[in-house]
Amino acid sequence: MDELLTEFVAETQESLEALTTVVVALEADPSDGALLDELFRFFHTVKGSCSFLNLPRFEKLSHAAEDVLSDIRAGDNAADAATISAVLAVMDRIAELCSAVEMGESLPDRDDEQLIQALRRSHEIARGGSREEAEAGIAVAEEVDVPGLHADPAPRMATTARTVRLPLTLIDQLMNGVSDMVLARNELARKLRAGDGDPETQAAFDRLSACIADMRDTISKTRMQRVDRLFMAIPRMVRDLGRDLGKVIDLVIEGGEVEMDREMVEMVVDPLTHLVRNSIDHGIETPEQRRAVGKAEAGSLRLSAYQSGSQIVIEVADDGRGIDLDAVVAKVVSTGLMSAKDVAGLSDQAKLDLIFTPGLSTAGAVTAVSGRGVGMDIVRANIERIGGVISLANDPGQGLTISMRVPLTLTIIPGLILNAGGLHFAIPRPAVIEILHDNNPAVAIMRLGGGLTATIRGIRYSMIDLESVIGLPVLEQGGPRTLVLVRSASGVPYILGVAQVDNHEELVVRPAAPMVMAAGIYAGMTLPDNGQPMLLLDAGGIAQVAQLPLIVEHVEPEISADDTEEEGPDTHYEGLRFVELTGEERIIRLSLVDRVEDIPIERCSGSGGCCRALVGDKLVRSVREIGPDMLSPGTRHVTCLRIRDGQHELCYPVRSVLDIDRVPVELAMVARQDLVAGLVLIDGREVEVIDSLALLARASGERPPEEDDRPVRCIIMDGEDPWNREILAPLLVEAGYPIQWGKEGHAIGPDDIVLLTGQDEEDDAAGTEAPVIRLRALSVPAGPDDASIYRYDREALLGAIAMVREERQRA
Amino acid sequence: MKDLYLFARIAGTAVALCVDEIEAVVRLKGLSRVPGVPDHVAGLSALRSRVLTVIDASALVTGRRHAGRDCPEAERYAVMCDRSGHSYGILVDGVDDIGTVAAAAMPVCGRIGAEWAPYARGVIEREGSPHFLLSAADLLDQGPVPQMT
Repeated sequence: MDELLTEFVAETQESLEALTTVVVALEADPSDGALLDELFRFFHTVKGSCSFLNLPRFEKLSHAAEDVLSDIRAGDNAADAATISAVLAVMDRIAELCSAVEMGESLPDRDDEQLIQALRRSHEIARGGSREEAEAGIAVAEEVDVPGLHADPAPRMATTARTVRLPLTLIDQLMNGVSDMVLARNELARKLRAGDGDPETQAAFDRLSACIADMRDTISKTRMQRVDRLFMAIPRMVRDLGRDLGKVIDLVIEGGEVEMDREMVEMVVDPLTHLVRNSIDHGIETPEQRRAVGKAEAGSLRLSAYQSGSQIVIEVADDGRGIDLDAVVAKVVSTGLMSAKDVAGLSDQAKLDLIFTPGLSTAGAVTAVSGRGVGMDIVRANIERIGGVISLANDPGQGLTISMRVPLTLTIIPGLILNAGGLHFAIPRPAVIEILHDNNPAVAIMRLGGGLTATIRGIRYSMIDLESVIGLPVLEQGGPRTLVLVRSASGVPYILGVAQVDNHEELVVRPAAPMVMAAGIYAGMTLPDNGQPMLLLDAGGIAQVAQLPLIVEHVEPEISADDTEEEGPDTHYEGLRFVELTGEERIIRLSLVDRVEDIPIERCSGSGGCCRALVGDKLVRSVREIGPDMLSPGTRHVTCLRIRDGQHELCYPVRSVLDIDRVPVELAMVARQDLVAGLVLIDGREVEVIDSLALLARASGERPPEEDDRPVRCIIMDGEDPWNREILAPLLVEAGYPIQWGKEGHAIGPDDIVLLTGQDEEDDAAGTEAPVIRLRALSVPAGPDDASIYRYDREALLGAIAMVREERQRA
Repeated sequence: MKDLYLFARIAGTAVALCVDEIEAVVRLKGLSRVPGVPDHVAGLSALRSRVLTVIDASALVTGRRHAGRDCPEAERYAVMCDRSGHSYGILVDGVDDIGTVAAAAMPVCGRIGAEWAPYARGVIEREGSPHFLLSAADLLDQGPVPQMT
């Protein structure tokens, strides 16, 4: 019996939670029969179950609600607001009773009867308007209590997957157990590496290792929960608040299907509730105010959740009055938190961030003046405690969007292990944008008055040495120091200087003790493979503790002379050797590769045979399609070469990068296919070389055809040459370009492209404004000034034509 | 009622801790330093797959570091306890005994050092010698710790 009761309570509570959305939706559209049915079913189920569990109060309440609802269902009269409120009150009472039963307490039988009366009364008032239907309604209401309707709730459950209920503590224990197992495995791996390594033992260990990894994934999944849960209580809250404050709110919820760690969901509930409350209380104006400023009467409040890499972004956006920066500043100055002079020097964003100032919240008056600020410091503290970031986008008068970015899970994260001042630290991999050595030619570090700045490829960042933040000496070392470009709490990157980056590891992160967290620079602690406990750095916290000014500046790139000079009639160039996703080893001209970057697979998307990757906030076209099936098992990142030629940007997914080689300019064999130009010999081995031009042509050439309004005519000057007639002309026609023979005497317009294959045609082409493409018979250019294209370089030729066409479109 | 106490020494002073607050006494193997935190946080130490935050009780109370704290070869004992979900090790000079005491704790008498005043909750007598009765909670929660909001 006890078990039945527990089951009943749990089930009822679950249904109650799910129903709040239904009630609000029903109020928005009272004619929706499906929603009414759902509500009715709930009360019906409760009534049915409690009759054999002997819970008379549940029965009375649910019976009354069921009566009214069935009445509404039977008749045509819609559910009015008062009735729905009364139904909600009954639901609340049932919830209270549930928790009382759960705790084994008894709830005083205060005013159940009153609630029921109120429900009946409001329903009767609503019914007053349509008396005829009301008569029918009463008839139905009387029939409701027939025993046949006490149907078993089982058929409703049949559609859902079979589940069991588990106490949370059990899952947490499991998770801890698996975490310990991972650590034990790591320790064993270390021991095995140190030993002489019997292959059989190693194989057995690898199997075990794979099992543990699988198990960890599975257990992690049990911890995942749909964000729906987070949003469940919101509609009800919005409705109640809107009613109390006399505001009309149009609530939109998106992305409830996104999953995140249950623990994270719990940590985010309070901040989210707070933000929604703030939005309604202070952001969205009353209907009169909104009318006065020309907005729609109903304020819009949009809650959305989506996954971005290893983070979940939860946004609360309203179209209210936004934050009045002047009022915030005035408040900060008047409470003496900052001087007027200090505040005046702040950027708008920094002023906006003042609403997070602790102490601002306690000054109650700020709400009336500035609109926001109640407890925002606590909201931020809560979000940051779980490794999240909160940011604001303010549009005064038009609304405010607050984004919370929180990690997917608290427990296991990919991390980098750093060394600074002789100690090891870990940093979450997602916080790191890039890692460079300080002797990299693309980096310039400047010191001024103790402050450091570093310029990387034309962008200037604030920089700080980790040692100076944690009060350790910078130790002498042989090699270069390492610069880690990391994201701060506000999202603005800065550079953290460390002695070196040692390792990359999956880390089991645990919360650190309060006195350690109080330092403000740590996000938790972890026990990595080497068995030495270490602390996880909080990149955002470090910037705050160091009071690092976070500004990113674009510096005009200086065109360095040696870049162009080195490209002489050299016989060799530097090439980057890599392995394709499909396994082939290939070489690409190093100068084309801007950098190598790991991109989470979630950021790659494909449509219509064209694949793109989200790098930073920019969509970059990918050379090949990237799918999760191409990655080696267990990895969530794809290594990408970032290709850039000044105009175009491409991302080239590869399996791995091997080495940099001296590559002969001349191909050992021309074998043109897809992006491959041919073969070269490297250390006696044949390696395929990527055709740079074809690659870049791919970046520019694959424009949607509708942009192409003027067809480009190709003029082949020498119409007598058999090669031109038999090979070149068909190729061009096939590629969709109309051709014309130069010797036929047609005028050459500026929209045409002239193709020359021999020296003696130069004179004929002279004087035309049309761009000229020269083809040569030799594969090697005649000299550094030779811009001609090898005539069998099909991709290069078509690429060149496409480029001309594109330039024209731009013009 | 007889209570079970752990008798140990912190900064040369005899102390007693109620065993209800204590999980175990462990010998620390390694100790990883934690920079940027108050000096009485000696570091982190791994105990199987658990990580202890090691508190130097001597540094906390007297301001002088535990003698063996910075030398890895020394035998260092810590009293392990759990406090709001975190595992701590309180570094002590040594552990003498665990035993019951018949008499209840007496109020602190005599003019004791100012450093002990915040921590001594009473005096327990064991075999004729007095011990300060400490609470692990005081050592872990108080102290020069800037509190998080």
